[in-house]
Amino acid sequence: MIWTVAASLLGLMALSIPVGIVLFILGIGVGEFYSAFPLLRGLGQVVWSSSSSSTLIAVPLFVLLGEILVRGGVAARTYAALDKWLSWLPGGLIHANIATATMFSATSGSSVATAATVATVAMPQAEKLKYDPKLFSGAIAAGGTLGILIPPSINLIVYGFLTETSIPQLFSAGLVPGILMALAFVVVTALICKARPALGGPSRSFTWGERLRSLVQLVPIIILFVVVIGSIYAGWATPTESAAIGVVIAALIAVTLGNGLGLATIGEALHGTIRISAMIMLVIAGAYFLNFAMTSAGLGRALTEMLENTGLSPLGTLLVVVLLYLVLGFFIETLSLMVATIPIIVPIIAGLGYDKVWFGVLMIVLIEMALITPPVGLNLFVVQSARAKGSMNEVILGVIPFVLVMLCMVALLIAVPGLALWLPSIL
Amino acid sequence: MVRVSRIETLEGALRRANRLVALALGVALVGTVLFVLIDVIGRKTGWGSLGGSDEISGYVMAAVASWGLSCALLDRAHVRIDLIRQKLNATGQGLMDIFAMIVTNGVVLLIAYQCWPVLQKTIERGSRANTPLETPLWIPQGIWFAGWAWFALSATALSLIGIAFFARGKRAHLANTIGLGSELDQ
Repeated sequence: MIWTVAASLLGLMALSIPVGIVLFILGIGVGEFYSAFPLLRGLGQVVWSSSSSSTLIAVPLFVLLGEILVRGGVAARTYAALDKWLSWLPGGLIHANIATATMFSATSGSSVATAATVATVAMPQAEKLKYDPKLFSGAIAAGGTLGILIPPSINLIVYGFLTETSIPQLFSAGLVPGILMALAFVVVTALICKARPALGGPSRSFTWGERLRSLVQLVPIIILFVVVIGSIYAGWATPTESAAIGVVIAALIAVTLGNGLGLATIGEALHGTIRISAMIMLVIAGAYFLNFAMTSAGLGRALTEMLENTGLSPLGTLLVVVLLYLVLGFFIETLSLMVATIPIIVPIIAGLGYDKVWFGVLMIVLIEMALITPPVGLNLFVVQSARAKGSMNEVILGVIPFVLVMLCMVALLIAVPGLALWLPSIL
Repeated sequence: MVRVSRIETLEGALRRANRLVALALGVALVGTVLFVLIDVIGRKTGWGSLGGSDEISGYVMAAVASWGLSCALLDRAHVRIDLIRQKLNATGQGLMDIFAMIVTNGVVLLIAYQCWPVLQKTIERGSRANTPLETPLWIPQGIWFAGWAWFALSATALSLIGIAFFARGKRAHLANTIGLGSELDQ
């Protein structure tokens, strides 16, 4: 059953049928061919219970939060402020790219919107200051991916919902690896620019007065992050409640420090939020139904048989899974890849005795890579479309160092699970 | 034969209707934000909680997750994998778009059909939520089911519009209606 479902999943997706619809088709197919009783009758009830969830409403709320910050012009100003603090490093403005992308994706959880905004404000600067276009655009694409690992992450909420794992635990597990990776991006950039100064632009320095004045832009964003994440960790608020508080703070920031929020901007932000959330919800509902169908059709037994037959050690199986994500990541967009594989992969991994919270973080790092590996790396396209000239190949070359950092992170997480599990254990 | 301008009129009407739906959902979302916020403040300050913000936000989520689907469909936001399709010429791409649209349409019709018994049983039994609010469940489920029905209707209209555009060789129109959307358009 597992192999048939996996093969049909890839086949139907290759036919360019929407991913959410593919998952429903597979669920219906499993019900028809593998189940002793008709599962189709349960379809309506499953769709209702998967969508009427007060946990999931955190997803549209976090999307809205990000839309407000980005469309309200806050991201552009943050970029300018971070530039003042970071551009003394070898690689100059490139660090502002990484930091802005990290900060924004940290508050909003939308990688693509972040990459798009940073690319739009950063690209003209790169040309003026004669940066190497490869590393410069690569850093934007890679920095944007961090948003799905550093909490609050929409992807982690979805993972928690589908695997019945605690979302606050997932959030705390993602924090350390996420920050480590952002730091590694900065260090790698500085090392590259130190070795080959031609890649980075001119070293610039700003006075402390300028830096301190720029704090006006930075502090509110940091407060937003601390309130949203802190209220969850402190047990003060559920993820949904903290998202609602975050939306209000974001709106206040956009009004006071951004370009303000006119009716047109609010309309665009709301429309964008509904579009993205509905796209996510179709995939979730499909995965939920496939989950239900596979479990009802005896997934547990099929899994045990498969694991006994492969003869691989748990670590061997885990490495096969990692390889699978690397390959699939070349072709499938991130959230779909994650949601579509959860019903098949997570039971296998949990069956081997691995921790589901830990695997959630590992999976996110693997998925992040999918965002910046060709041919279907969403962030690559976003950054390329913001560039006036040059070819896509430059962006692809530029992300290579960052993909290597991510691979190291994957190895590190497997070797030292405590990297992810330490923080949830003490909270 | 229906004239191309007529098809465009229909497509425009569908698009405007879904834009309104998206706006209404957005307003509901903002309402939820305020409701949850008042609840949190009430709880923390000891003024007492309104209660039920969990339940209500779940219902809003169900509405977003059903009515929003057709908005996303019109915006071409549902994720499709462009692996084979991008290698084809315009006619091939058009055929794949129509194929994907018709498959989507069939599945959505089936889901909407299967959603009806959920609402029907609720109405027959007069079920209420097992919560302090005792919400009569036909209200949220009615809104939710109507969203799926609207999704099915929009999908059927889009299938027909797509076929009509294809039959008249309007490739660009076809691509704009049911082609592969890109997040970059937004």
